[in-house]
Amino acid sequence: MVGVAHDCLANPLGAVRSTFEKAVSSGSDPVNFAGRDWGAVDLFRRFLFDDGGLSQVPILNSSTIRWIQPNTLVRFRGMVQDMLGNELYVGAYKDGSVWRTNKFVDVAQYPIDSCSETRIWERRMLYCVPVPGLNSWTEPPAVVYRSMDSTTQHGEKRQRLDESTDNMDFDVSDEGFQGSPSPKKLKEDGHPSQSQELNVEGTSSSMSMLPDVNRDSLPCLVKIYDCPESDMKLNEVFEFVGVFTFDPEFKVENDDDEFANGFSEDVLVQLPPNKVPRLHCLTHRKLAVQDFLPSSPTMEVKPNLVKDIRNALLRHLTAVLGNDGVAAEFLLLHLLSTVYSRVGTVAVGKLSLNLNCFNKESVPVFGPRLLLAIKNLLPFTHCISLTVDYLNTASLAPKKDYETNRLITGALQLAEGSHLIFDETQLEAGTLNSVGVENARLLKTLMEMQKVEYDFQYYKLDMDADVQLLVLSEGKSNVLPADIVLPFQPSSVDSFEATAEALEAWRWYLATVRSLPHSIEPEIQKVIENDLVEAKQADRSIGSQDFSRLLTMGRLLSMSFGETSLSLEHWQMVKELERLRRERIK
Amino acid sequence: MKDLNFDADKALAKEFLSNFADAVGEPKYMNILQEVANRKIRAIQIDLEDLFNYQDFDEEFLRRVTENTRRYVGIFADAIDELMPQPTEAFTDDDHDILMTQRSDDGPENMDGSDPHQKMPPEIKRYFEVYIRASSKGQPFTIREVKASYIGQLVRISGIVTRCSDVKPLMQVAVYTCEECGFEIYQEVTARIFMPLFECPSRRCNINKTKGNLILQLRASKFLKFQEAKIQELAEHVPKGHIPRTMTVHFRGELTRKVAPGDVVELSGIFLPIPYTGFRAMRAGLVADTYLEAMSVTHYKKKYEEYELRADEEEQIRSLADDGDIYNKLARSLAPEIYGHEDIKKALLLLLVGAPHRKLKDGMKIRGDLHICLMGDPGVAKSQLLKHIINVAPRGVYTTGKGSSGVGLTAAVQKDPVTNEMVLEGGALVLADMGICAIDEFDKMDELDRTAIHEVMEQQTVSIAKAGITTSLNARTAVLAAANPAWGRYDLRRTPAENINLPPALLSRFDLLWLILDRADMDSDLEMARHIVYVHQNKESPALGFTPLEPSVLRAYISAARRLSPSVPPELEEYIASAYSAIRQEEAKSNAPHSYTTVRTLLSILRISAALARLRFSETVAQSDVDESLRLMQMSKFSLYSDDRQRSGLDAISDIYSILRDEAARTNKLDVSYAHALNWISRKGYSEAQLKECLEEYAALNVWQINPQTFDIRFIDA
Repeated sequence: MVGVAHDCLANPLGAVRSTFEKAVSSGSDPVNFAGRDWGAVDLFRRFLFDDGGLSQVPILNSSTIRWIQPNTLVRFRGMVQDMLGNELYVGAYKDGSVWRTNKFVDVAQYPIDSCSETRIWERRMLYCVPVPGLNSWTEPPAVVYRSMDSTTQHGEKRQRLDESTDNMDFDVSDEGFQGSPSPKKLKEDGHPSQSQELNVEGTSSSMSMLPDVNRDSLPCLVKIYDCPESDMKLNEVFEFVGVFTFDPEFKVENDDDEFANGFSEDVLVQLPPNKVPRLHCLTHRKLAVQDFLPSSPTMEVKPNLVKDIRNALLRHLTAVLGNDGVAAEFLLLHLLSTVYSRVGTVAVGKLSLNLNCFNKESVPVFGPRLLLAIKNLLPFTHCISLTVDYLNTASLAPKKDYETNRLITGALQLAEGSHLIFDETQLEAGTLNSVGVENARLLKTLMEMQKVEYDFQYYKLDMDADVQLLVLSEGKSNVLPADIVLPFQPSSVDSFEATAEALEAWRWYLATVRSLPHSIEPEIQKVIENDLVEAKQADRSIGSQDFSRLLTMGRLLSMSFGETSLSLEHWQMVKELERLRRERIK
Repeated sequence: MKDLNFDADKALAKEFLSNFADAVGEPKYMNILQEVANRKIRAIQIDLEDLFNYQDFDEEFLRRVTENTRRYVGIFADAIDELMPQPTEAFTDDDHDILMTQRSDDGPENMDGSDPHQKMPPEIKRYFEVYIRASSKGQPFTIREVKASYIGQLVRISGIVTRCSDVKPLMQVAVYTCEECGFEIYQEVTARIFMPLFECPSRRCNINKTKGNLILQLRASKFLKFQEAKIQELAEHVPKGHIPRTMTVHFRGELTRKVAPGDVVELSGIFLPIPYTGFRAMRAGLVADTYLEAMSVTHYKKKYEEYELRADEEEQIRSLADDGDIYNKLARSLAPEIYGHEDIKKALLLLLVGAPHRKLKDGMKIRGDLHICLMGDPGVAKSQLLKHIINVAPRGVYTTGKGSSGVGLTAAVQKDPVTNEMVLEGGALVLADMGICAIDEFDKMDELDRTAIHEVMEQQTVSIAKAGITTSLNARTAVLAAANPAWGRYDLRRTPAENINLPPALLSRFDLLWLILDRADMDSDLEMARHIVYVHQNKESPALGFTPLEPSVLRAYISAARRLSPSVPPELEEYIASAYSAIRQEEAKSNAPHSYTTVRTLLSILRISAALARLRFSETVAQSDVDESLRLMQMSKFSLYSDDRQRSGLDAISDIYSILRDEAARTNKLDVSYAHALNWISRKGYSEAQLKECLEEYAALNVWQINPQTFDIRFIDA
């Protein structure tokens, strides 16, 4: 390839068109381009990944949308919240004798003659939102892009955008602990300053626990071309690179819908282009947790290094948990857990933790500390205070609204690998109404099977979830039956500090180690089998769930040391941890 | 573009309509046309299948019809116009007819023929509507599968109706009269929006340059009923991790009011784009909306009785029925991921199959539905079994005894908040009429529901006498209950009656009460440990060792089996009666009986036997069926008996010996045939291997002699 004829960054459509013309002139029939690429995507892939163009592409979010020009290349990181189905468009048409294409655009460049030959192609529309519960440290450092416009003239537009996003039908339902600053206060001054958000790191004051409610979450309608449907699933997190279109001057024409179809579920009405930007996706990639580390240090997984980080992290967690070493061990395993396989109805690899024996005195102390510590370690975190009122009113499961043909999100529509804390200590005796009963059932299924039932009115669909669940309660939680129930026994309230470097290393550790491969050698397998049978012979109440839990703990423990196969030593540690836990329960 | 000869195709269509003869040789379409001419029906459905079966079948023509259906609806309509026979019956003219006569009366002098707007469009004369129905062969598409390439084609789609608009009139032909020249002007409307004419286009007005004012004549215009609906993919068609897709459907004319939200339907129709118009077009840019122009509507039937077997399914059932081991095979395919519990699965299979209902001469009904209660320790996969059965059954309701809604299990009278009327609302058992109702946590059921369930389980109705409403609702359902023992776990030191925390009146209504105890058993524990280690290691379940049948195949087989109603031959009556009395006697002997054997038990034996006969596709119950039903009854309490035996110091071998000895003593014979012996011991829950072992052991002690070929037993008289 000799050089790029067009500036892929500022004029991506020019590049698309030139490749199209080239392809047509080289004898290809545009008829064959339906659902296929003619070289445009290759060109961009080369530019983005081989020539390192990716880092130059600005990220679309609520602050950058002020100055990003329409029809330029942008990136958007978001979770697929809803799928709007297919859209048919005039993909190619004959303008006189020349074939032209409309791929990657909303509006034709030249007016289409109504009688000219046209080809109808299709694209898929995904409604994406920023990952719910995204913590501020994941944001890449603000790079000054070659700004093309001053921001002043867009001030007004920005205002409008705020209003629109505020009353969008999703809200990140984070109910913080009661000690946390009210979101309202922050909303008043509009945009929390960057510095304020950044100082979350390494501080211990509860003031820095910023709830995510007021984070401007900019949704985006992503249009996907030519890629198999199975590539993208609901609730997956992607980075889309594509052509950005946004029309702030667009006015909603209230043409009387008397003649128009009786259902007002038109995408244009629901998501007008002046409120929801569009992105015509050229290429996308799935993001895992480690992709959210701001500066991804490409460290190798060396056992020594891992061990050091593990020890430091464990010390940190122990400090957070008021010197409860056993709880810290379990918390570490819990933070590493991930559903890696589903066999029948069993989600293998989940490890939910219930820390109980909290009381009115210890909750205000340790609750916020725990929340803050986890916020600083994991990219997507949530916290829900369970009260009877909350259960009776909250919409936990996403629900389909047939009036608007949209999926209305619920608090449990979370990205893979999210962390969710349930604070059950606020729960008091009360009556649940039918919503409450339904919500309690949903929570139970989530805990037991890592599944959330989405309500489509005429039927329910089970969606797989992969959420780490931590329950804080006074007694053993029965609403939320966790895999591990551990009485929490703090002995002191020390302050805990962590340097930025340490935090960075821990984040890297938690994100990387959990994806290590794992196996159990046949000899160890024998030992485990015998141990399990022995345990069951001794105590008939041990069931298959307990077996499964112990094996999961074994896997996580050996992974936490950066090892890929379970050693006898680690299995012994698991048994020891289990023994300590049982002792506490007694 | 290809040169399409529509006139030739019209001739083809005409020929097909007039010549097509159905299976009995009747001219199907000409008969329909005659009915249309007599104003009996409006809709003319052209089956593509008929086109396919037509003697002069033209593949090209069929392809053209499928790919450009809308055009061919018009072509067929034109052909029908030419073929329409004279009415053979008198009917009263409506105002449409009067208008038509008027038009044709003053037609000749009024027409100046040159103007297309003045020519009467054929549409306005037509009384009929033409629909082309897609062939019902093969699987219908899911909404997801209908891609841009199907535009303009006839497709068949299955889905659930989510929204329906009101039925509105849609103008098909607009008729105007001119103020100046008095001509009637016609305008055909093909889209949803049209631009009305304002100036008279007739020649007279043109020549006179009078720009006649046109007035729309609503009475003379032709309208069609029009309804818009949304369909959504069925839950089973949505790939994992995706959102169901929706599609707009337009119903016209006779097809309106055929669907309601919540209906599961199969539609055939033409997939068409509608370009946006006006402001929409500007907003939408290049996007076209699409819809399905419905051509036929079929409601899915979900009950067994209405289950229509497809040809390939029938084939499959036949080959399965020929397979000797079908009983085991079907049973294992129920909840294949749940390990073991083979006999429970067999019982559940019989629950799905059921026995025929009997109605005696005096009007008394004897239920055919089997009721099963699974009672057992926590963690023995009771709930999973229940849920799986509900998935297999075409109509099943899963609920818990502590059902959350006010309606509960049976039925409730409620006040409608809008109209203030008292309305009757069916509970889970009523909803499961003609199906299966699975009730988890049966022991924790409401006291009220528990009394009501007595009626449901024997009379199969729910009676209501509340708030001025007295009625009785049908609840012909098989009840599958799961319950925990009274103290959470089965306490072996207490009697079964104490453990099973349900009143005997309720218990006796269950045909089978299955006790699943979690026993301390080294082998099964090891098996479980291995299984879980394997799952964690390999991220999948260990191979099952067989391929389970698909739920759809199971459903088809069961529905085929349910069509039979086997009867008990007279020669078996004695056998069943003696078996029943034997159980009664045994129970009388024991001081702590595990079961309550009543006349209901006898009915249960008959029901289970009949279900077994159904599975064999046999019209008569065989002795083997009765033996198997007795064995199942025995096995259901096996975990208890084995414990008893251990306590009484008897091992399996000596118990088998005592059974055989007692049997020989009872019949006063010294010979016991092997088959007979096997029957007896399997009824008590022993295996053939154990019998063989016993035979050998006692033959060595010279208690009996064994025939080396037939294994028949001859006691050595002592």
